[in-house]
Amino acid sequence: MTLTPSRTNEQLVAHLLRRAGFGGTTAELNHFLSMSYEDAVEELINARDTTALPQDLIRRYHVDQSDLRTRPSSAGNWLYHMVSTDAPFVEKMNLFWHRVFATGQTKLIQGKVMDTQLRMFRDHGLGKFDDLLIELSKDPAMIMWLDNQDNHKDSINENYGREILELFSMGVGNYTEEDIKECSRAFTGWTVENADYMAIKMRNNTMRPYGYINWQFKFDPEDHDDGEKTFLGETGNFNGEDVIAIICKQPATATFIARHLYHYFVADELPVPQWPHFPPLNQAAIDVMTSAYFDSGHSIKAMLKALFLSDEFKSEESWNARVKSPIELVVGTLRLAGGYDSPTFDVYKHIDASSFMGQDIYAPPSVEGWMGGSDWISTGSMVQRVNFASDLIGDLNRSGVLQLIGQVTSGSSGSAQSLVDSALQQLGYLEVSDETRDGLAAFATANVDTENPTNEQVAALLQLIVATREYQFV
Amino acid sequence: MTTQTRTRIEYVDTVGFGADVGGRGFHIPYDLSIRSDGRIYVVNRSPKHRLGIRVGICDVNHGWYHEFGSDGTGDGQFTEPTAITHGPDNRVYVADEGPNRITIYSPDGEFESKWGETGSKPGQINGPAGLKFASNGDLLVVDHLNNRIQRMTPDGGYISHFGSEGSGPGEFNLPWGIDTDSNDNIYVADWRNDRIQRFKDDGTFVDSYGESGREEGRFDRPSDVAVDQDGFIYVADWGNQRVQVFDNSWNFIQSVRGEATVSPWAQEYLDANADESEARARFDPFIEVDTDDPHEVSSRVEAYFWDPTSIDIDPEGRLVVTDTLRHRLQVYQRISE
Repeated sequence: MTLTPSRTNEQLVAHLLRRAGFGGTTAELNHFLSMSYEDAVEELINARDTTALPQDLIRRYHVDQSDLRTRPSSAGNWLYHMVSTDAPFVEKMNLFWHRVFATGQTKLIQGKVMDTQLRMFRDHGLGKFDDLLIELSKDPAMIMWLDNQDNHKDSINENYGREILELFSMGVGNYTEEDIKECSRAFTGWTVENADYMAIKMRNNTMRPYGYINWQFKFDPEDHDDGEKTFLGETGNFNGEDVIAIICKQPATATFIARHLYHYFVADELPVPQWPHFPPLNQAAIDVMTSAYFDSGHSIKAMLKALFLSDEFKSEESWNARVKSPIELVVGTLRLAGGYDSPTFDVYKHIDASSFMGQDIYAPPSVEGWMGGSDWISTGSMVQRVNFASDLIGDLNRSGVLQLIGQVTSGSSGSAQSLVDSALQQLGYLEVSDETRDGLAAFATANVDTENPTNEQVAALLQLIVATREYQFV
Repeated sequence: MTTQTRTRIEYVDTVGFGADVGGRGFHIPYDLSIRSDGRIYVVNRSPKHRLGIRVGICDVNHGWYHEFGSDGTGDGQFTEPTAITHGPDNRVYVADEGPNRITIYSPDGEFESKWGETGSKPGQINGPAGLKFASNGDLLVVDHLNNRIQRMTPDGGYISHFGSEGSGPGEFNLPWGIDTDSNDNIYVADWRNDRIQRFKDDGTFVDSYGESGREEGRFDRPSDVAVDQDGFIYVADWGNQRVQVFDNSWNFIQSVRGEATVSPWAQEYLDANADESEARARFDPFIEVDTDDPHEVSSRVEAYFWDPTSIDIDPEGRLVVTDTLRHRLQVYQRISE
C-alpha cells in the first residue's frame, strides 16, 4: 500500500469506511486499523449482518412494518437495518442497486414487494451479474413496475426489454431497436401469479377486501414466445436467461456497470444520458473494474475489491469529494449517535428527514434514480441537513452521543485546538479547512472549559462540526 | 367396546373486511373481547392516517353495531392500543402501550375513567400488553416491558405481581396475551421465550410448554392463549402464522393455518367494484408458494392467517381469531367426534 506522506493510514481507512459504508465510529475505525488496508477491504466486502434489529421485535411494535403497506413503513424498516447492521457495505450496495434499478413504491402501492426486491439485492447484489439480472427480471416489483405482466407472446410490451438494455446493463448506443424487440420476446411469459387481479388492485390502490397480496414470480410457458430470435448478433430460441447471458458477456455491460460503480464510490460522473457522448472521467479506474469483471466471471464483488484497492480510489483527490446523499447523512449520523437499541417511532421522523432533504427511498424520482452530486444541495435541503445532524448529535439522551463526548474529552490534552482535533477524529477523521478549524477553535476557546468540558459544551462543539460544509461530504 | 373421542377445530366463517379510515370493518385488528351476549369488541391499531384506530363492535353473524375511541391522548382515546377486555359488569377496558394507561368505558363505549403511571415500581406499568379479569374481579395486566403480571383492582389499585425477566420457570421475555381457565389458573403467552406458562391464581408457577421451532407443537413468538370451558388450549402462534390446539395436558391436537372466505361485507365491496370482482373470479388464492417462510407465505396466500395476534372464545364455544394483517376475524368451532 502506498500512502502520501502528508496523510495517514487512519484517514485512508476513514475514507474507505465512508465510501464502503456510512462512516465509522472510533471502535470501527480502530478495528480496521488493526489490520492491513487490503485485509480491511476483504473484511468489509465479505461481512454478513449479525446485528440488525430483529424483525420480530420491529413487527411487534410497528405492526405496519409487518405488512409494509405504506412507504414510511417499508422505508423505516430498511432504515432500521441500515443503522443497526454490522455489514454496512451490503446496505450501501443495496442503495446502489436501488438507484440503478430504480423501482418506485409510488406506482406499486405496496411496500412488501419493495422489501422483497431489497432482500433479493442482499442475496445477489455482490454476486455474478448474470444471476442478479435474472433475479431482477423475476422480481415481482420490477415486473409490475415496467409492465412485463403485459408482455405477451402475441403482443409484446417492450418496456422491460428496453430498460434492461438501456438502464440496467449496456446503455444507449450498444444495441438496436430490433434487439429491444427480440429481448422483449425472450421475456414474454415472465409475469406474476394472478397478474390481472394484482394489476387491478394496484391500479385501484385498494387494500380491500383483505389487504394487499404479496406478488410472486410466475413463468407462463403458454404465454412465452419460444421462437427463434436474433439478439446482439446471436441466433437461437432464446428465453430470458439466454438473453441475459449474452448481455453479460458484452464489454459494454462491464463498462456500464463500472461507470456506475465509479460514480457511486469514487467521484461524480456525468448523468447517464450523456454517457454515449462522453468518455468516462477516469478510464483507468473503469479498466481496473472491467478486467476484474471478466477475470472473475462477472463478479460484482471482484469489481469492487479491485476498485477499493486501486490507486484511483485511494487517491486523496477522491477523499471527501462527493456530497453525501440524504440517506447517507441520516444513516451515518444515526450510527455515530448510537443508532437504535429497540424499535422507536423516531424511525419515521428520520425517514421524513431524508425526504425533507430530497431523498425518498423506495420512491426515486424516475426510472433513472437520483442524479446526486450537487443536486442534493439547495438552500432548503441544507437547512434540513444541518438541523437534523445538529439535533441528533446534541441529544444528550442518546447513549452513542454520551460515548462520543467521553471519547472526545479523553482524547483532548486540554487546549481548544486539541479538543477540536479530538472531536474531528471521533467524527471519523473528518477533514476541515484551516478556516473551519480556526472557527471551531475560536468557538471552543470562547464557549468551552477546555480543561474540564461539560457534556453540554462538547455536544455544542460537535453540533457545530456537523453543521459545517465539510460534514456534508463523503 | 370403547370409543375414542377425537377432538378438532373446524373452520366456520370469516367476519369483516379492511376499513382503514373508520366505519364498518377493521384495520390492524389487534385484540378482541367477546361479551357474554356474543358481541365482539375489536380494538384496531391502524397506523394508516391513524383514522382506523378505534374499537369496533360486531358479532359472528356479521352484525355491525358501532365504534368508539380514536387516535389521541385525550380521554377515551388511545395511540398504541394492545389489549381489550370486559369486566364482570360489562365495562370495557382498553390497554394503551403508548402512554401506559388503561382506559375504562361503559358497555356502550362511553369514556368513564383512566389510570396508569409509567414505571417499574409495584403498580406502575411499562407496556401493558394483555388484560384479563380473574374470577374474583381483579384485573390481571401483562406488564410486558417489566416482564411481570400485575394483579390490580379495576380502578388501578395495586394488589400483587409475579414474574421477572428471564427464561427460567416463572420468568418472562416480553410476555403478551393472557387468559384464565375455569379453575382460575393463569396462562401467559411468554412471547420471546416461545412458550406458554401456566400459573395458579396466586402466581405460583405450575408448568410451561413450548420450545422454538416450526414443527407442530413448537412455537415462534406466541402472542396469545385462550382456554375454553373444557380446558382445551388455543395458542396464537404468531410467528408461525397459525393457531395450535392442545388439550389441558399439552398434548398436541391440531394446527390450523387459516382458510378465510369472502365475508358478506367483503362481498358487498366486490359487488360494488365490478372490475375487481371480475378479475377476482379468475383469482387462484392457493398458489404454489416458492418460500417456506411462514410470514412470506401468509403475505401471498390471502386465505391464510397473516399475523394471527389474539384469540377469544365466544359463549357458544366458538374460537374467534384476529387475523391482524388481513383485517378480519376467522371463526372456528371445536368438534368432538
